[in-house]
Amino acid sequence: MSTTTPEIRPAEWREQTASLGMWVFLATEVMFFGGIFMGYLYLRAHYSAEVAQASRHTHEWLGTINTAILLTSSFSMALAVRFSQLAKRETVQRLLWVTAALGSAFLAVKFAEYTMEWHEGLVPGLHFTIQENARVTALFFFLYFLATGVHAVHLTIGVLAVLWMSWRLRRPPFPDWRADEIDVLGLYWHFVDAIWIFLYPLFYLVSLSS
Amino acid sequence: MNSPPALRVYAVTWVALMALLAATFVLAHFRLGMLNPVVALAIALAKAVLVALFFMHLRRSSTLIVLFALVALFALAILFGLSGADYATREVHPAPWVAPGAY
Repeated sequence: MSTTTPEIRPAEWREQTASLGMWVFLATEVMFFGGIFMGYLYLRAHYSAEVAQASRHTHEWLGTINTAILLTSSFSMALAVRFSQLAKRETVQRLLWVTAALGSAFLAVKFAEYTMEWHEGLVPGLHFTIQENARVTALFFFLYFLATGVHAVHLTIGVLAVLWMSWRLRRPPFPDWRADEIDVLGLYWHFVDAIWIFLYPLFYLVSLSS
Repeated sequence: MNSPPALRVYAVTWVALMALLAATFVLAHFRLGMLNPVVALAIALAKAVLVALFFMHLRRSSTLIVLFALVALFALAILFGLSGADYATREVHPAPWVAPGAY
């Protein structure tokens, strides 16, 4: 019996396994958010005029600014992943800081938006004062708070994970498996960005033209 | 992934994403009827594809990983397709205690 371990390009295998593990998790996340999107699709298909009217209560400028912030955070995260493959520890650390800062800026804008919506009486069940199309508007905002709230929880976890990774990079060494960790973190971050890419037109851009 | 892509690839992707964001925001202000949601979702899809291909480097990933990403979308299509077919072929019957015209 041979005692040699069959190490055929082990680094590549590790990278594959780590990425695949994250993709499997993201596939379950697609189904998790899928239920919310299905609920939205039902409401939009059956009450399109009422949904259009309800969507006018959202703050489209804040949503647009937040989309720009999140897309840019994905840009800096992608660069962090790229420089981690070149083992540029300090550059990666700085880019992770930028990513976490942009993610926090998104959450700050979102929180300001929630505060405004609370004062405008748009929170179903807790503080809801809209009279016209009350039921569909309430359902629309129920889905809005559920979808953006669950998204914000995901983003908060992402910001904490990025800060934690950045903290771990504060001094050398930079082992090559570190790049795989940052790669997997990047996949999660971009997924959360991609979810927002769909939430943005569905909640903010429904009836700006009418 | 032996050597990572050039910085230009990331920069161009980001510029394209910002251009698509500007386009979707501006187009949402035009009265296009049924085309409004179609354009908004097509642009969202384009942005997500850019993020997946270049930021999540699906373009350079193994077939196995691409397959997992596609299976996720396929399962989502089943969810949408079957639930949608069910809801689309049913009448809405409000409960007796719901005021008429409330929905």
